[in-house]
Amino acid sequence: MRSSLVRQVLILAALALAPGVGGAVYFRHKISWRSAILPSELATVDQARAWGGNVIWVDARPDDEFASDHVPGAISLNEDRWNELLPEFLAAWSPGKKVVVYCSSLSCNASREVARRLRKEAQLPDVFVLEGGWEAWLKKK
Amino acid sequence: MKTHIIAFALSIIISLSARAELKWEQTSLELHPTPNDKQAIGHFKYQNTGKTPVHFKSVHASCGCTTAQTQKDEVPAGGSGEITATFNIGDRTGTQVKTVTVETDEATNQKTVLTLKTIIPQQLELNPTFVFWKQGDKPDPKTIMVKAGKEFTVKHIKVTSSSPDFQTKVEEKGNGEFQIDVQPQETKNIVASTLTIQPEDSQKVFYATARITNAPTVQ
Amino acid sequence: MAEKEVMNQTPSAQRPTLNVEASAEGATSNVKHRTLNIIWRVVGFIVAGIFLYAGAIKALDPVQFASDIDNYKILPWPISVAMAFYLPWLEILCGIALIIRVLYRGALSILSALIVVFTLATVGAKARGLDITCGCFGHASQNWSFPSHLATNLAILAGLLALWFQSSSKS
Repeated sequence: MRSSLVRQVLILAALALAPGVGGAVYFRHKISWRSAILPSELATVDQARAWGGNVIWVDARPDDEFASDHVPGAISLNEDRWNELLPEFLAAWSPGKKVVVYCSSLSCNASREVARRLRKEAQLPDVFVLEGGWEAWLKKK
Repeated sequence: MKTHIIAFALSIIISLSARAELKWEQTSLELHPTPNDKQAIGHFKYQNTGKTPVHFKSVHASCGCTTAQTQKDEVPAGGSGEITATFNIGDRTGTQVKTVTVETDEATNQKTVLTLKTIIPQQLELNPTFVFWKQGDKPDPKTIMVKAGKEFTVKHIKVTSSSPDFQTKVEEKGNGEFQIDVQPQETKNIVASTLTIQPEDSQKVFYATARITNAPTVQ
Repeated sequence: MAEKEVMNQTPSAQRPTLNVEASAEGATSNVKHRTLNIIWRVVGFIVAGIFLYAGAIKALDPVQFASDIDNYKILPWPISVAMAFYLPWLEILCGIALIIRVLYRGALSILSALIVVFTLATVGAKARGLDITCGCFGHASQNWSFPSHLATNLAILAGLLALWFQSSSKS
């Protein structure tokens, strides 16, 4: 009796693997196994530096944090004053530039939101979130 | 036998939750501000059902856009009050979830997370909000589609361009949908315009940007 | 053989009454038995339906489910992703198993284990002050309060346990 129960559980558990793997294959481009953001949407400090003058840095933090210190040449663009700041950012943008958005650290949400809006609303290509955020930049200074 | 197990488990769970002294009326609030509201305010009411006073050690929000206030730092036994969370909407859109973490000196349950979910009504949705021509491109018209939000009826919209370098034409597609065709005079010079889109009978204004950009840098 | 002789010697007047009584009792207990069976089948269908629905919602958006699992901060991200792809299908298969009555008790055990683990995770997350905005019904249940989540889970568990004991009493 006992062994047949274990057998039933194992059969069900094994059967579920097939569609599970199928789903993983089907959705493979929508999700990264490494981190919670798509790899195609993340950039490390080193990668961003390697792009040289082709990068526009976007600071998604609130105005006071931007004012006290920011990546040299970065443009402030946050959701508090999106309508006012977006045209200023777009004035600096041109096709072919890579946009790297950062906020305080990996855990803050602002950079992801700003990046999302740039991709979705302004339909800009090549928009990345800086992995590790401002903290990571400071470490590499 | 089975009923005993269930009753036992239930009593453990119930007793665990009963130990917390500060009882919250709700730890999750959903707010529905109107399109003209600049802030959304949530009132998280609590009551001290314990026998000892409770002190708030810290109250802080998950982002700078949300501030939280307690009316008092100490709640006597039997006392009640509220934590007021003020979410500054700014230019945010869609559903925004912000949290306020409250730390107290209770014996159990020192940390409570209050969730403020704000559904920001979107009167108009613009797609895209940015149209551009590279220097030297043909000055063909580009389209911005405008759609009224689900809960809104918009019959007409007014579109103005901040610069005469760009002309706009509005076509009403019906059903709250509009098509804006934007066309530059020429693409020789680097110029830009802010398009102001206003629904009829509304104070709220929406923006789009049109510009001539540098030709892409050679890579 | 001896019994048959005794029965044959019993005055026939008695036998028909006995038979009528016996068959009448049999008839009522048959009806009772069948209604109980129907009730159990309905309970089984409801519980199976809940898991089929919950599994389908999560199977359709495993990306969201992975992020929801990650919110509990119990598992590392890659494991959350694996679970997000695997668990919904486990729920669906066990739900099907309940309905077609194949691998029945295995399905009940798996679903019970899932509900227990999930409930413990939810209670633990609440105790740690985490902001958990979803339950086993994906984002459809994200507006539920903690007590209603708990109550629903316990009710489902009660249903599963009841079906288990019913199936063991049958055999």
